[in-house]
Amino acid sequence: MSDYEVLLQQVVNGLSLGAMYALLALGFTLVYGILELINFAHFNVFMVSSFVGMWALQLLGISGQERALTGFALVGVLGFAFIVTMLAAGILGVAIERISLRPLRGVRGTAAMITTIGVSYILFNVILLTVGAGSENYPNPLPARRWQWGEVTIDLKEVLIWAVALVLMIGLQLFVNRTRLGKAMRATAQDAEAARMMGVDVDRVIMTAFFLGSALAGAAALIFGLYYNYTSFIIGYTAGLRAFTAAVLGGIGSVPGAMVGGVVIGLIESVGGQLIAVRWTDVIIFSILVLVLVFVPTGLFGRATPTKS
Amino acid sequence: MAEPRAGMTSDTFTRLRRAAPLAWAAPALRSRALIAAAAVAALLFPIAIRNDADIDSLANALAFAALALGLNIVVGFAGLLDLGYAAFFAIGAYSYGILSSWQLQPDWSSFWEPFQWLGLVARNHTTAGDFVHFQVSFWLMLPLSAAITASFGILFGAPTLRLKGDYLAIVTLGFGEIVPIVVRNWPSLTNGAMGLNGVAAPQLFGFNFGIAATPYYYVAVALVALLILISVRLKDSRVGRAWMAIREDEIAAAAMGVDRVRFKLLAFAMGAAFAGMTGTLYIAKLQTATPDMFMFPVSVMILVMVVFGGIGSVWGVVVGALILQVLQSWVLEDLSGWLHVLGRFVGVDWLQRVELASSIELIFGLILVFMMLFRREGLIPATRRVPALSLTEQSAQVGRGGFDRLAGVGAGAERDGEKLLEIEDLTVRFGGLVALRSVSLSVPAHRIVAVIGPNGSGKSTLFNVMTGLVPADGGMVRFAGMEILRLPPHRILECGIARTFQNIRLFPNLSVLENVMIGMHARLRTGTVGAVLRLPVTRREEAEARERALEILAVFGNRLLPRLDHPTASLSYANRRRTEIARALASGPKLLLLDEPAAGMNPAETLELVDQIKSLARIGLSIVLIEHKLDVVADLADNVIVLDHGEKIAEGTTDAVRRDEEVIRAYLGRSAVYA
Repeated sequence: MSDYEVLLQQVVNGLSLGAMYALLALGFTLVYGILELINFAHFNVFMVSSFVGMWALQLLGISGQERALTGFALVGVLGFAFIVTMLAAGILGVAIERISLRPLRGVRGTAAMITTIGVSYILFNVILLTVGAGSENYPNPLPARRWQWGEVTIDLKEVLIWAVALVLMIGLQLFVNRTRLGKAMRATAQDAEAARMMGVDVDRVIMTAFFLGSALAGAAALIFGLYYNYTSFIIGYTAGLRAFTAAVLGGIGSVPGAMVGGVVIGLIESVGGQLIAVRWTDVIIFSILVLVLVFVPTGLFGRATPTKS
Repeated sequence: MAEPRAGMTSDTFTRLRRAAPLAWAAPALRSRALIAAAAVAALLFPIAIRNDADIDSLANALAFAALALGLNIVVGFAGLLDLGYAAFFAIGAYSYGILSSWQLQPDWSSFWEPFQWLGLVARNHTTAGDFVHFQVSFWLMLPLSAAITASFGILFGAPTLRLKGDYLAIVTLGFGEIVPIVVRNWPSLTNGAMGLNGVAAPQLFGFNFGIAATPYYYVAVALVALLILISVRLKDSRVGRAWMAIREDEIAAAAMGVDRVRFKLLAFAMGAAFAGMTGTLYIAKLQTATPDMFMFPVSVMILVMVVFGGIGSVWGVVVGALILQVLQSWVLEDLSGWLHVLGRFVGVDWLQRVELASSIELIFGLILVFMMLFRREGLIPATRRVPALSLTEQSAQVGRGGFDRLAGVGAGAERDGEKLLEIEDLTVRFGGLVALRSVSLSVPAHRIVAVIGPNGSGKSTLFNVMTGLVPADGGMVRFAGMEILRLPPHRILECGIARTFQNIRLFPNLSVLENVMIGMHARLRTGTVGAVLRLPVTRREEAEARERALEILAVFGNRLLPRLDHPTASLSYANRRRTEIARALASGPKLLLLDEPAAGMNPAETLELVDQIKSLARIGLSIVLIEHKLDVVADLADNVIVLDHGEKIAEGTTDAVRRDEEVIRAYLGRSAVYA
């Protein structure tokens, strides 16, 4: 395989990763856009959801790699898994908002963010203490289908990831731009007080943002498990760092920004891992984060200014 | 015009000063006794408890108390959320570790001879040649690693401290992650994941500390005591006030003369220095260092200690750190033991195997959420409760007549009527909106100029541009002959322009007195060294500053003096306005910009304020006044300027302006002109 083809393969991989990071970053940016709150718990909601997805698939009798399905059975199983995971993630997100964030709604400063750190810690350690520190094998209902394009391989699961991600992203765009609740969300993101005065139920809008954002994290979590064939208590941190950087790179609070940022970070991770050693990927991603915040704080598409005047 | 009441200020001031000492003696004595008891207990602990493991645990606990003190300066005093504090801990630790172990062994050359003479390195003869062995003394390393870590603090802080709170938190999180990863992936310098070994134990007058915990324990006690002293001294000084001002309201802090960049960097560097010293001690005790000891969970743990103990409270974070460490090393282990016994007794397998110590992080998470939801001020809150006011203290008499003397405020060198402030062609745009369009005006010395106009006409924007809070898109502003348009807000304050804000920007959690003393920030000279050492010149400066603050507050009769220690968030709207004016006066300005000072006052209070403003002009201040109450304007203003939609549409005496057709149209609409 020529160098060029190896690179191309990494680009393909990177696009799949990017789709997953984009979904995770979208959920994060939705909440930030409305509350200007950095929700650390988001990434451990992602981690918990991947376990929920695993348990949902195991419930259907699918475990390990042996049982590959096709046709309607496959669609049905995947549909069930996605619905269950996204619903569970959404409910978890709303519960977190209701219990730990709503009481802090008017409080100045970083109190709410510190609370999300606490919630994140709680989720992380509950899973660590109950499920344990090892990686869990993820059930794999997908048949091993691949297509060749020259020497570059495109797996069925990558096509699946892109299909799901596109459907969700288009769905989100339609929701935000074409529905009444979506308009209410955009209004609240621009000026919550004015929105409230125009009759928008801001509490409901915030709850919706948390539900949708967490549901997207749930989808990303199931994708993670299906793509990497494992899950573990630590994936919130590893994937979360990348998704977070993607959101910042794209411009925190911006929906198209999160999508573009996710793809860029996915490409950087897979191509960068190829060109420089994989163990430096974390440093590279963190450095990008720091550099973006220092030099281009608004990111690529952002409107929120992270600096004080 | 009413007669000014001579000597009004000194009467009230003396009355209050006589009452003060009695009120504050008892709590001071009580806290001194507690501190003495704690010191004695700390010193006697290893003698009472001879168990080396327990002494070691407490030494670790004290190390984390020192770290909590450092983070308290960054998060608690200055309000900068640092989520990567463990990076500084690591830098301090590895600085000592590398310079006192066998990790680095460069070839010997004559370059190293002076260092050998100083005792910092030794010449190591081996069969492969002569090498350098670093053996920098622990005691020298303590201040040295403080300096090294502080430099890293400045290095990290310089590009990032202008970011907003949550973004700063993320960047510091990034640094907190990058440092251990770099350490792990640089084995030639740090021996990577396997960790430094052979770190030298400290030596004191020939006595080698070895591995027994007791000598390290006493060093830890001394370190914590030192850091507490530094924290307490800084908190109650010009530096601490500047930090708290930045924490409460950055914009107001800048407008009151605080150089935000410098003080944020100072807080960051000081917090880093604390962590650096603690890192050195910690590694000396452990005699090894691995990157795993400095990861994100450590940063979170220190944050939990600060939040739990009380953000901003020096004793609070020490107590919080000690409690959580003791919880982790003693209580949870004992509790696990009891649960095992219980499990055996009732035959539940899970109980027999549970290890509560490993669930400490879950407990940390729960503590964070619980504290933020239910007790944000922490175990030992930073702000004292203030006693309720008596009825006489609460009732305020409206005083007429103003005053004729005010310390620190007075005539400058300008001749009467000479142009103090000149604005030419000033233009300000916010995106497509032109807030000010080629506005020109001048303010003569010792005069009162009023700026009036409908809402949205650009009056507050004018003030914001003059004080450097908003950039201008064209024009010139000259104050006492000097161009001030591009200067940062704190420099403009230093030149002699002070302001109040339309929406009142006080420091809500700070007391009235502290607010006013922050106004004096630019006129005081005490720096970090002076604050920590409490030199006589520093003590004198603080006492004089306090007296001047009380005199200024006495201008407002007994409205503010009984409320000296009350947080300004608890004051009435009018009293908050008065405090803001007092704070601006405290900076000894030549030009005072008052943005709607009479808002929220009833007619009697308004008349009182008018007399006070007249007195200020009489003693030499120049004043620019934004007001909507046109009777106030008529009474005070020598000159009135009218703005509408960002343009100056009229200028002149109150009467002339009142009759101007453009002005009537702007305020009341076109048809009113012909009414």
